[in-house]
Parts: sequence; C-alpha cells; structure tokens
Amino acid sequence: MAYSEKVIDHYENPRNVGKMDAEDPSVGTGMVGAPACGDVMRLQIKVNESGVIEDAKFKTYGCGSAIASSSLATEWMKGKTLDEAETIKNTQLAEELALPPVKIHCSVLAEDAIKAAVRDYKQKKGLL
Amino acid sequence: MGSPCHFALFELQPSFRLDLEQLAVRYRELARQVHPDRFADASERDQRLALEQSASLNEAYRVLKNAPQRARYLLALSGPELPLEVTVQDPGFLMQQMHWREELEDLQGSANVSGVATFKRRLKVAQDELNESFAVCWDDPLRREEAERLMRRMQFLDKLSHEVRQLEERLDD
Repeated sequence: MAYSEKVIDHYENPRNVGKMDAEDPSVGTGMVGAPACGDVMRLQIKVNESGVIEDAKFKTYGCGSAIASSSLATEWMKGKTLDEAETIKNTQLAEELALPPVKIHCSVLAEDAIKAAVRDYKQKKGLL
Repeated sequence: MGSPCHFALFELQPSFRLDLEQLAVRYRELARQVHPDRFADASERDQRLALEQSASLNEAYRVLKNAPQRARYLLALSGPELPLEVTVQDPGFLMQQMHWREELEDLQGSANVSGVATFKRRLKVAQDELNESFAVCWDDPLRREEAERLMRRMQFLDKLSHEVRQLEERLDD
C-alpha cells in the first residue's frame, strides 16, 4: 500500500521520539494498544504550572501510519493547554496525513493516546 | 439461511481447548467431501451448494485453528460480537509488550539467532499461560470482562509471534 508523503516523512523522521519519567508529577503518560495489529503506543506530556503542554514524547511499535499519527499528535500538542489538546480529533490527524480508510484506526489510536495521557496527568493532580 | 456454528461443522461442542492436529485431519476429510471438483458434473444448484459449504468450512477452520480468533468467536457465541479492532488500555501488559518489542528490535539489530530462539520460547510460554487462563474463564458469564481482556492479550501475542517468524526468515536468508 502506498503511503502519503507526509506519512513517509513522519515515519522516516519521527518527531519527539523518547521517554519521560512516568513518576514525575508534571508528566502524563498514555499507554494504548491495538490488539489486532499488535500496535503499542506510549505518549507522554510534560505540563507546566499554567496547564500548558511544554513537551511531548512518544514511542510507537506499529505500522507507518501509527508512527506518523503519534508523531504528528506530539507536534500538535506542544504549546496547547490540556483542554485544547483534548479537542484534537483523529479525523484531523487522518486528514493531515492523508490516511487511507483502512488506516483510520491508527489515528484513532493516537487520539486515544492523547486522551489517556491527559487523563493520567489530571488524575495525578487530583483534577478528576 | 443462518450459517451453522463453526464448531458444529466439525461436529464439535463449542470449547476453547481443541486438538489442533485432529482438527486439521477432520478439516482435510471434510474439505475433500465438499470440494467443488467433485461436483463438476452435478446440477448447478449442487455446485453452488458445494461451493458455499467449501467456503464456510474454510472460514470455520481459519477461525478455529487460531487461538485468539477462536477465543473471539467463542465470546461472540455467548454475547455480543466483539469488534476486531479496538483501543486497549491495559497498562501493565502494554508496558511489557513494549519491552518485548524493544528486545526484538535489539535481536534484529544484532542478528542474534540464538537470542531469537530464546525469545520465541518465552513467547510460547506466555501464550500457553494465556490460553490456559482463557480456557478456564471464557464460559463464566461473571468473568466475561476478564475473558475479553485475555482474548485481546492473545491478539497482541499472536501478532508478535508473526513478527518473530518473519525475523527468523530474514535471519535465515
């Protein structure tokens, strides 16, 4: 299957690959997986005191579309508030990356990872 | 026309524990009986019927011989069908999956054949344990949630074992 140029770009030069200390109170970690493809995605955010996401990192084992979706998600989350980050939709990721219909679930996984990371941070801070 | 249950096609009761060798033997027998070639001179209706039976048989065999697919099918027999693709949040298990992927990546990088063999054995042990846990809980309605979680874990390990096989083939070349 042919990948779009944007997917290939993110796949070959993934942004923000890495790991943060999950125990750090200012870090939120989202860990999600897609069983049928076997994809595993970890997305982490570092949030400052005004509730703005200062940094985002990810590590994804999966296909090019899953890697590109999480890479793009970290790019978009940086500089956003938690509430803004939570409004990022899989359809926006899929559109930006021109994902074909069979790969839409990869962007769903990235959206779920964003939500899981934000929720983890909020739980840590007693905001939920 | 409702299609008969996959297990019924093999004259089996729905069960997770299955003798795969026996299943394969039975499959070959049945496949011969309904093989479309045997109906070359039959009426158009019989030909179509044989074709349909052959297709259902292949589908049933495909599902039953694979542990996570058999598990998902069993859960669908006793409740709503579970979608193939979902997002799973099972942090401890996913964390371990990530470690295993990292390990496999390292083994690939170092082309470590004996390391891959060890990895494969460990994976098999994990799969056997998972199968065993599923076998004892899938038909208990009170443990359905647990059975679902185990089935999803099986899917991950099944995919991982595919990747291990692919890596083995690459290292063989």
